[in-house]
Amino acid sequence: MADGKPDFSGIYTAPSTVNPTGPRGNLIFNPDKMAPVKPGAEGLLYEPRNGDPRHDEPRAMCLPSGFPSGMLYILPIQIVQNPKYIVIIPELQRAARIIPTDGRPHRTGLEPSYYGDSVGKWEDDTLVIDTVNFKRWILDDYHYTDPTKTRWHSDALHTIEHLKREGNKLLYRITIDDPKIFTQPFSQDFQLTLRPDWDQLGLLEYVCEENNRCAGGNCRASDAQ
Amino acid sequence: MTRNLLAVLILIEMAAPVFGHHSEAAEYDSTKPVKVTGTIKKVEWQNPHIWFYIDVKDENGNVTTWGFSGAPPGALLRRGITKDALKIGAVVNVEGSRARDGSNNASGRSVTFEDGRNVFTASGEGGR
Repeated sequence: MADGKPDFSGIYTAPSTVNPTGPRGNLIFNPDKMAPVKPGAEGLLYEPRNGDPRHDEPRAMCLPSGFPSGMLYILPIQIVQNPKYIVIIPELQRAARIIPTDGRPHRTGLEPSYYGDSVGKWEDDTLVIDTVNFKRWILDDYHYTDPTKTRWHSDALHTIEHLKREGNKLLYRITIDDPKIFTQPFSQDFQLTLRPDWDQLGLLEYVCEENNRCAGGNCRASDAQ
Repeated sequence: MTRNLLAVLILIEMAAPVFGHHSEAAEYDSTKPVKVTGTIKKVEWQNPHIWFYIDVKDENGNVTTWGFSGAPPGALLRRGITKDALKIGAVVNVEGSRARDGSNNASGRSVTFEDGRNVFTASGEGGR
């Protein structure tokens, strides 16, 4: 980039964890690598499914994925970069994270949100993104792997992401610091692969409400039927 | 593998839980398999999953239209698969799991063409 920073711009494959385990394990946090759960906090991390799809799988009802869940999904991710911002856009729900990299502090006085409040800074050739002010929400897609319960973060979640380019790979480390749930922060490494061949097509529209016909298992009528 | 065969394979990939914006179990009942043969009546190439509809005629000539969900359209397009992969009027056999509400809707799990080509669920990663 003209400002001397590494250029992360482009379209990437979905993240894939370096050491996946189990079904969909490449896109969820590995329990073996999580920090210990604080005594009494297990119920904050895991909630039993209660039959309400808005709780059990909110994305199935077209509710927001939030972060980090929305980053850890199977669709591509585009990064747009200029000297003042880096914008990370997962194709899923097209939920852009517009992250200032000009040294400003976190905003204050905002209500907690699904994606939190992010600021970025450069540490040599690594971009470090610090995010706070989350509302309690689904942590990841763990619910795809367990028919009995779902996995959540608390409203005390604080994430730190480290992004670094190595050739056509984007090394992506996310640190989960959730002091209401875990005894200490823990990190997991993912990789994304740059796909210049996807540039021309670009990211595609993703309007979940367009034809979410069987949301929660209740199918709406089609004019074809 | 012919391009058409590949297309159908990918169309059906969503039946694997790795592909959906929801888990299949949330909307479809794997204990209630569906297997029908009929002609493609309509295709909805929309998010979050494509849908295609099959007219199925019983022994008395009565027609029932079944709906089957498929993969997200963006993931298909990125693989070069377009709506043209499912031709209106084509005869197919489709297997899947019925919707939990008991309606004539299901997740597509495999498709067999009239000429016998048979494709089962793949386990690819969407968007790659």
